[in-house]
Amino acid sequence: MKYSDEVLRRVQHLERVGVLEGANVGTGEVGTLDEGTVVRIQVRAEGDRVAAARFKVFGCSAAIASASLVAEWLDGAAIDEAGSLTSERVVQHLDLVPERAHVARMAVEAGLKALADSRGLTAESREQK
Amino acid sequence: MVYLDHHATTPVDARVLESMLPFFSEKFGNAASRQHRFGWDANDAVERARKQVAQLIGAATKDVVFTSGATEANNLAIKGTVSARRDRDHVVTVITEHKAVLDPIARLEQDGWRVTVVPVRRDGLVEPADVANAVTERTALVSVMAANNEIGVLQPLRQIADAAHAKGAWLHTDAVQAAGKVPFDVDAMDVDLASFSAHKVYGPKGVGALYVRRKRVAIGAQIDGGGHERGMRSGTLNVPGIVGFGRAAEIARTDMPAEAERVRLLRNRLHDALQSTVSGITVNGDLDARLPGCLNVSFDGVDGEALLVALDDVAVSSGAACTQAEPSHVLMALGHTKERALASLRFGVGRSTTAAEIDYAAAKVADVVKRLREVLRRSA
Repeated sequence: MKYSDEVLRRVQHLERVGVLEGANVGTGEVGTLDEGTVVRIQVRAEGDRVAAARFKVFGCSAAIASASLVAEWLDGAAIDEAGSLTSERVVQHLDLVPERAHVARMAVEAGLKALADSRGLTAESREQK
Repeated sequence: MVYLDHHATTPVDARVLESMLPFFSEKFGNAASRQHRFGWDANDAVERARKQVAQLIGAATKDVVFTSGATEANNLAIKGTVSARRDRDHVVTVITEHKAVLDPIARLEQDGWRVTVVPVRRDGLVEPADVANAVTERTALVSVMAANNEIGVLQPLRQIADAAHAKGAWLHTDAVQAAGKVPFDVDAMDVDLASFSAHKVYGPKGVGALYVRRKRVAIGAQIDGGGHERGMRSGTLNVPGIVGFGRAAEIARTDMPAEAERVRLLRNRLHDALQSTVSGITVNGDLDARLPGCLNVSFDGVDGEALLVALDDVAVSSGAACTQAEPSHVLMALGHTKERALASLRFGVGRSTTAAEIDYAAAKVADVVKRLREVLRRSA
């Protein structure tokens, strides 16, 4: 399969790979190893912003590039605006072929889940205060 | 770029290209034109090439039928056999065959033929007794490849031939990967039909051949129209391609002993380097009964396709070139999980490969696997 230069660049120069730990870290994980692709995105919320975003992926280049793009977009974004993330934007930015669009959807879903999770955590920690 | 995908295709050897060039322009004749020198020259060139290909495989010259490639040769062997043997209704093949054999056989099954697909052992080799058990007096054809295109293992063809012939079945072998790389002799293997391709042995794409042991078997043509190639394959011959195939076969035959040894040493150098620098790797397929240039390795905890992309300037392949994204049916047949099958690379060392390229590729693979494992590992 031929990929766009943007996908190649992201796979060959990996950024925002890793794991976040501690308070206010939300985690979103989508997919199973059986299906061949697992995307995990984590965000650390600070106030109304995402202070950091990291990803882990088991899957193809398109999955790695999609997760890396979603993590890049989330990193530093306002939490309220970050929810407007769509898989169409990922597909367009990475110029993915239709057969790979599902991994973009998985990455976006993982990102949104991570945001929702962090929001829950933030609400909880507010309540605790 | 480092090219380590010589099982997918090979560059045309400069000597091969040189032999072909006159047949595009000054010697452009149709090999079937019997009335003038243009045709005679083209026909002479084709017959010289036929002899060169026959010599590579130990065949009688008349038993070589030129085709557009190995896929056509496989189709002609399989469909040509069943159209000629209507008194039988059964075909036997092996689970790790190339799609160019499995797909035509699947077509036969749709048309009502019974098909038995024999499994392989974990080392990728067929147990001849399994073939013997599958073959009956109703079996028209057994088709087993000589060397596997993904893992490079060499099947015990002679024993399989004996099992097929014991019940009157014919043996076809897809010998595309074996011919020119390891000694392959149609009499020593006792095969009835064998498929070959020029572009796997430093010849041009778009030309191949089917060996037909005409003293024993008669197949039905699949392309009619003029009766070329003794009626088995009509159509104007691809004279430049055939000339190139002949020259490539001749070079492969004379250079094989030295080249096979050189390539084997480079393959072993790659194998040793990966074993000593990368943890969690598995070599797929038997290491002894194997093509000299082939190394197929699974990397635990990595996606093979992502590996390919991250390797960037090292061209290798994950499974067969035509069916990426799905786990390799060959690796799955060895009993691997889908995850491991997807995390595999095929390295194909060839005529132009240097030791420096092997060292570069090994270091690059080690580095990329380390970085990707960092991305893929679920823990920190």
